[in-house]
Amino acid sequence: MMRLLSLLAALLVSGQAAAEDVTVRVTTPAGEPVAHAVVSLPGALPASPADVVHEMAQEDLRFDPFVLVVPQGAEVVFPNRDRVRHHVYSFARDNAFELELYGREQERSVVFDAQGNVPIGCNIHDNMIAYIRVVDTPHAVVTNADGVAVLEGVAAGPVTVWHPYANAENNRLVLDAPADGSTLDVTLDVHGRR
Amino acid sequence: MIRSLLLAGLFSAGLSAAALAQSHPPHAQPGELEVDPYTVSDANAGADPIEDADVFVAFGGEAGIARVVDGLLERVREDERIEGIFRASDWPRLRRTLIEQFCYILGGPCTYTGRDMASVHRDHGITTREFNALVENLQDAMDAEGIPFALQNRLLARLAPMHRDVVTR
Repeated sequence: MMRLLSLLAALLVSGQAAAEDVTVRVTTPAGEPVAHAVVSLPGALPASPADVVHEMAQEDLRFDPFVLVVPQGAEVVFPNRDRVRHHVYSFARDNAFELELYGREQERSVVFDAQGNVPIGCNIHDNMIAYIRVVDTPHAVVTNADGVAVLEGVAAGPVTVWHPYANAENNRLVLDAPADGSTLDVTLDVHGRR
Repeated sequence: MIRSLLLAGLFSAGLSAAALAQSHPPHAQPGELEVDPYTVSDANAGADPIEDADVFVAFGGEAGIARVVDGLLERVREDERIEGIFRASDWPRLRRTLIEQFCYILGGPCTYTGRDMASVHRDHGITTREFNALVENLQDAMDAEGIPFALQNRLLARLAPMHRDVVTR
């Protein structure tokens, strides 16, 4: 009984201490902001997927967004807002798919069951490239144009920063979480630009 | 002086940006979508006119050509090999410009006001198989209008070289 109580107390304490917001700012060695980086911290996914619509649109012969992060098991819709057809595909292991999307076709979707990176392209328009990163945590955010990502209410744990063009092993860095309330500044060397 | 030149430059840049906006061209009919600006020219039709007045007459003039185009578009809409390419097309504009193009190429008193073949097909990723499927539908539409085989081939001979600009895959 005492053991159970102390365990409970320990859980409560760690729970209180852990829930906090983490701000991460990603820049190149030259100090330029790095957008489209996925910042994540560990966490348990809910048993059933959250009721969120994830979208990888095609518009003006580009994918939008360039980088999308989704939890494992998420459904992603692929609306084609162009008047020409697109043939969207990925050869990603465990997440391979292809969709022939006619002009203005809005309804098609794909469920991504395996975690990992899903580079996607269009068979008709070679310049169309984007990335979907499937993660096993609910705590993952893509950096904005200022290179900043804010993760709310996360538990303690290492911070992973991934970018499709990062010059790093597996395109990512793994860093210690910042001290309470402070911003973690990350320098990430990336090649090429969207 | 420098400042006013700079201002004039900014002003003209603003004007040209406005001129690049989509609009309805003067020849558009009701129901057509706005299009990006382009230069109208008969050269955009992609072939020179047939200089043999009998051909235009054999096709039944503009009214006969309109029936061929309608027959073609009805068949395309039902053809699962290629209907997907046209699903988001501007059908009123497609019909009008096809009639203009065929009329012009068949030596009729028409002007072609559409864009050139490379521009209109570039982003569609059309294959040779799909190009040939459209030609089949056109042949069937001409058959249905009772246009003699030899005259059908006069038109097809002018359209065939467009393969270069239409097929990109």
